[in-house]
Amino acid sequence: MMESVVIFSILTLVLGLVLGYAALRFKVKGNPLVDQIDAILPQTQCGQCNFPGCRPYAEALAKGEAQINQCPPGGQEGVDALAELLDLEVLELNAEHGETKPDHVVYVDEKLCIGCTLCIQACPVDAFVGSSKVMTTVIARECTGCDLCIPVCPVDCIYVRELKPTLGTYVPDLQGIPHG
Amino acid sequence: MAKFIFKGGVHIPNPYPVEKPEIKQVPPPKQAVLLLQQRVGGEAKPCVEIGEHVLTGQIIAQTTGNFPTNVHASISGIISAIEKRPIPHPSGINAMCIVIDSDGKDEWVKIEKCDKEFLNCSAQEIVQKIREAGIVGMGGAGFPTHAKIDNAQGAHTLIINATECEPGIMCDDSLIQEYPREIIRGIEVLMHACGAKKVIVAIEDDKQEAFNSLLMYSFNDRISVEQIPTKYTSGAEKLLIKALLGIEIPSGAYASDHGILCQNVGTVKAIYDAVIDNRPLISRVVTVTGSGVRKPRNYEARLGTSFASVVECSEPNENQHQIRMGGMMMGVDIPNAQYSICKITNCIFVNNEEPKPVVKECIRCSSCVSVCPANLLPQQLYWHAKSENIEKALEYNLMDCIECGCCNYVCPSNIPLSEYFSFAKALDRKLKREEQKTDQSRERFEFREYRLERNKKERAEMMAAKKKALKEKMAKDKDKDQSQKDKIAAAMARVKKTKEDNA
Repeated sequence: MMESVVIFSILTLVLGLVLGYAALRFKVKGNPLVDQIDAILPQTQCGQCNFPGCRPYAEALAKGEAQINQCPPGGQEGVDALAELLDLEVLELNAEHGETKPDHVVYVDEKLCIGCTLCIQACPVDAFVGSSKVMTTVIARECTGCDLCIPVCPVDCIYVRELKPTLGTYVPDLQGIPHG
Repeated sequence: MAKFIFKGGVHIPNPYPVEKPEIKQVPPPKQAVLLLQQRVGGEAKPCVEIGEHVLTGQIIAQTTGNFPTNVHASISGIISAIEKRPIPHPSGINAMCIVIDSDGKDEWVKIEKCDKEFLNCSAQEIVQKIREAGIVGMGGAGFPTHAKIDNAQGAHTLIINATECEPGIMCDDSLIQEYPREIIRGIEVLMHACGAKKVIVAIEDDKQEAFNSLLMYSFNDRISVEQIPTKYTSGAEKLLIKALLGIEIPSGAYASDHGILCQNVGTVKAIYDAVIDNRPLISRVVTVTGSGVRKPRNYEARLGTSFASVVECSEPNENQHQIRMGGMMMGVDIPNAQYSICKITNCIFVNNEEPKPVVKECIRCSSCVSVCPANLLPQQLYWHAKSENIEKALEYNLMDCIECGCCNYVCPSNIPLSEYFSFAKALDRKLKREEQKTDQSRERFEFREYRLERNKKERAEMMAAKKKALKEKMAKDKDKDQSQKDKIAAAMARVKKTKEDNA
């Protein structure tokens, strides 16, 4: 009787120590769910969800402090993907946060630019090149189309340019293929 | 006869056979529309201006990177436009073209004859000449030839593809019958350029005349001319290698990785013209065939000639026509004949307009599996492509699909399977591009956050340091003040003492 009590006590102690060590050694830093959510978000960093960027929105979603339908650039596809990941009911995109726009980038009318640098400060991905009192321009490759620079421009010299498919980026229309 | 053969493929006899494939010369056009972008690589940059007079063979747009190829004026005349024009592409997207209005003289630019025999030129010099002549794969793929030769330097075997890529096309056949001497010479140039010790010219066994004429001129014992069974898709590079050498190039690898260089026979003729005759690529052989023309024939036409003027030579009937660029299997349907011949236009199909076959549901008969030359499961791929499940399609080796269209041909439900596969491939490329862009934006956003944080910290540190320095200075000043005050007090005491003494 005593023997079994001793054996099991030692076993419990040893296993407890192993588990305790493992908990420290293999501790998961941060919330892995945030990364998974962040991977779905379009990284436009536009702030239309009322959070200052995609990652903060992902953090709020992980905590359950935000709805999944607050991201217009992600579109309905994005909402569906979030609903599946978080095992929530699919919602319609909330129109309060804006509507999904076609892929676009912005460009600066370089003749009008006064070099105020306000757009440089507004850009969440540092896609502007310029400095005080010199002409500013956009690196189109880096622009996410968040449009945050448009309202801050005092001379309204920032315009939207839609990204049209080229020979290299063209995708045929699935509905256009004859089907039975 | 080839020792090996590959699985799949279909045998389709030429639907519009001719007695003897000849090449008819088409006179230089009144207007030439020259495309600046080839199938592979970016756009060549125009180096002429509107209104400028150019001579035939003059470079009008130049290469920028490794892949774009030079574009030469195919007629002499005045540049009348540099603008976007419709091009024969399934997307219907317009692309940059240079338009030349002919002066009717067809005056050539001065050609500097190379005084050196090509055997005395280095491989690099020959590749450079090919590059300058603007040669791309003439079989239809349009890959820049100079880049392909460069990649295959030190190849042991050179394969010349004279199999005719699709049923109905006769341009390789006619080219061989017309220019056998030039082709053998071109092969020798190519051997010298890539260093291959052995050459196999592959011709399908239904082209006996072409086979005979090549044999007649082939005195080089390193060049062997072989016949392979007539079967569609034997013109595909990897399958041709399998049929001739029994070597299977694995998925994702290239022929050049295995020391093999494949070139189309049309490309070889262009190389002959460029290296021996110093003439750039300004014309090509085009087959015009189909149910809508009375005389299916081959034409040598200047690049930029409109389809309509070439089709006219083949005596089209009065019916409504469906025009198709390329072969009956892999070609592109285009709305009308107002397009121009580009470097990859090997064939123009002119068919009487017929109602499109009714597409029905897949019945899983798996006929497509037995004909797929790439050993894929097209019916599985079809489901995944249709439901946009790209990940699954990739698992079923979507990327190995050569879009040959054998599956479309045998499908009893008339499903255009290969169109689904090209859609899936394009979608995969799009998703990959988007993923790259999101990763880049995420990285830049995070770096900006880090930068702002760092600036804030640096500023705070700087302020703290300044404050500290100021405090120290004030403390020091305080000490200084004290000694000053002491001095003043001492001086005042001294004055007081003097006054008292005087009194």
